[in-house]
Amino acid sequence: MKIGSRALLLILQNAPYILFVVLLVVFGLMSDRFFAIANFRNIIIQAAPIAILAIGMTFVLLTAQIDLSVGGIMYLTATVLALYMTGAPWPVGLAAVIFMGGFIGALNGVVVTRLGVASFIVTLATLFILRGIAMYLSNTRTLMFGDEILTLNRATVLGIPSAIFAFLVVFAVAWVILHQTPFGRQVYAVGGDPEAARKAGLPVARIVFFCFVIAGICAGVGGFVSITQIGAVGPKYGDQIEFSAIAAAVLGGVSLFGGRGSVAGTVFGAILIKSVQNGLNIINADPYIYPLVTAAIIFLAVAIDGLRTRIIERLERRTIRPVSVE
Amino acid sequence: MTAVPPAHIAQSAIPRSGMGRLLKLVLSEYFILVLCLLYVAGIYPFVPEILTWGVWSNILGDMMPLLVVAIGQTFVLIVAGIDLSITAIISMAAVVGASVMTGTGGYLSGSAAAVPIAILVMLLVGVGIGFINGMSIVWLNMPSFIVTLATRMFFAGAAIWFVTFHSTSSSIADLPRSFSNFSTGSFSGIPYTVLVVGMIAVVAHVFLSRTRYGRWIYAVGANPKAARVSGIPVERTIMMAFLISGACASVAAMIYAARMQTGSPIAGENILLDVIGAVVIGGTSLFGGKGKIIWTVFGVLFLVILDTSMKLLGASLFAIYIIKGSVILLAAMMDTLRNRILAER
Repeated sequence: MKIGSRALLLILQNAPYILFVVLLVVFGLMSDRFFAIANFRNIIIQAAPIAILAIGMTFVLLTAQIDLSVGGIMYLTATVLALYMTGAPWPVGLAAVIFMGGFIGALNGVVVTRLGVASFIVTLATLFILRGIAMYLSNTRTLMFGDEILTLNRATVLGIPSAIFAFLVVFAVAWVILHQTPFGRQVYAVGGDPEAARKAGLPVARIVFFCFVIAGICAGVGGFVSITQIGAVGPKYGDQIEFSAIAAAVLGGVSLFGGRGSVAGTVFGAILIKSVQNGLNIINADPYIYPLVTAAIIFLAVAIDGLRTRIIERLERRTIRPVSVE
Repeated sequence: MTAVPPAHIAQSAIPRSGMGRLLKLVLSEYFILVLCLLYVAGIYPFVPEILTWGVWSNILGDMMPLLVVAIGQTFVLIVAGIDLSITAIISMAAVVGASVMTGTGGYLSGSAAAVPIAILVMLLVGVGIGFINGMSIVWLNMPSFIVTLATRMFFAGAAIWFVTFHSTSSSIADLPRSFSNFSTGSFSGIPYTVLVVGMIAVVAHVFLSRTRYGRWIYAVGANPKAARVSGIPVERTIMMAFLISGACASVAAMIYAARMQTGSPIAGENILLDVIGAVVIGGTSLFGGKGKIIWTVFGVLFLVILDTSMKLLGASLFAIYIIKGSVILLAAMMDTLRNRILAER
């Protein structure tokens, strides 16, 4: 009985990965093009912007906050880039985007931590404001980017396409911050139990603040990678992307209640979502069913996670009251 | 998460000085209503039309679909949940209902029973999606944010797909006149929509404030563990809140479909953040246990007045976005401040 539960738990714990393998096999059987190396490279290139965004979102979610403004940050930073920095070399543009994203994230963080307003509402409001400012600056037009940005899409670093390279760099930095530094441990501590973290002497407000800054920077960088792929920025740019980023993080095992999850999981979630879309595309599925399948997979993954939590609770209850006592 | 402040504003004695009166006003639950009046007074010199009957009947008309959805959302927020699927419910109910009663190739086109059955079907769609939401949260132990995010994606996509089976265009048009009357007709001077939504608001208010079930909703939202220990059926209470939200969204679908004489999968597509913003501006807490229907009415009124006045001023879309965002932020800050003052007393 107990061993059965443990085995079930093991399966449930790795459910997203099992789901991923099953999907790969299904798509692979339906089309031999799916398993081509070039196709995997495409999937990761397509997943790069959303994965970068979701990595930033992971930090915020780990502290039990939420950032709905990432789409707005993407749109505004890309618009400023298109309007005022057309002639600048791309590293300057990237630096500007990182600075602006970080600054907006800092504003979110200040309002959340200093004024104590719920992050859902603060970032909902900044989402409106940022999109409004970007529309004002661009006159609601679609702006095109010059060759300086467009050539980046085809550029490679050490044979790795630029989008994948950017994604790997962001992932590596985020992983080191989260898993190898005191700050990373503090993020988990704050999300796990803010009251206990406060009593342990952690600067809770400052930690939450920096998580919003990181989310802002990631939104800027994710937007930058996205514009190298699209080559333009219009009023629909980054619309509703906050939901995709949250979905990717949650698919990868990040809890909305804080304290649980990792950037590796998030990256996996983003790749899983893009693989599904890519697979549907390759098997020539009706485009109308893309959102249906994506939603069903997110739902399934989270449902399994809920089941897992329940089983863990049951197992832990047993260890508290040993069987021998009866 | 900070401690949940008391649901009822303390009416303790405050010195009758000017400062005291101002403080009392800020702390009163009619604060947002007063803000509405102040706003109208302030904007009047720039747009005198704001005080005409025509503008107010527009404001009232614009309020109704938002308000009915916001009422449902209030229930969900009080039980400490959130329902992001409301816009998808509106889309799905609108297109499925339209497919039943449309004059061109509807399941019951031309039949006398078409409209009543279509209305019933729309309600069923709303309650059905609400049931899926509630079931996943209660039985599968999933957070409401993710459940309703997934159902939102799913049914928004499904609504668009559904239309492709019934129409060559992107929506299902040609709804019977007897149905579109719902948005144009009136009963002794009161438009049907106002009548229906008003009745829903009154029932919801009585339900929340006067019945045992209403008290359960607050108890579950404030502290689910304590509620369970006190013998409250927590699961059933949460489920009911999501069913109500689904039903309310399908009423909004009827209003939109009747107004456009079309079942469109993108009707009300953009109102999600407006609805949540309005409910929270009214003072309902995102963390559960606190909220009132009357607050939601004020919140929706405030947002619609703001929207209308901006349009009258000829403000462009970006200005509306910026101002709406700032107002939501200001209202939330003020609410936090109010709660802090109340907590210190």
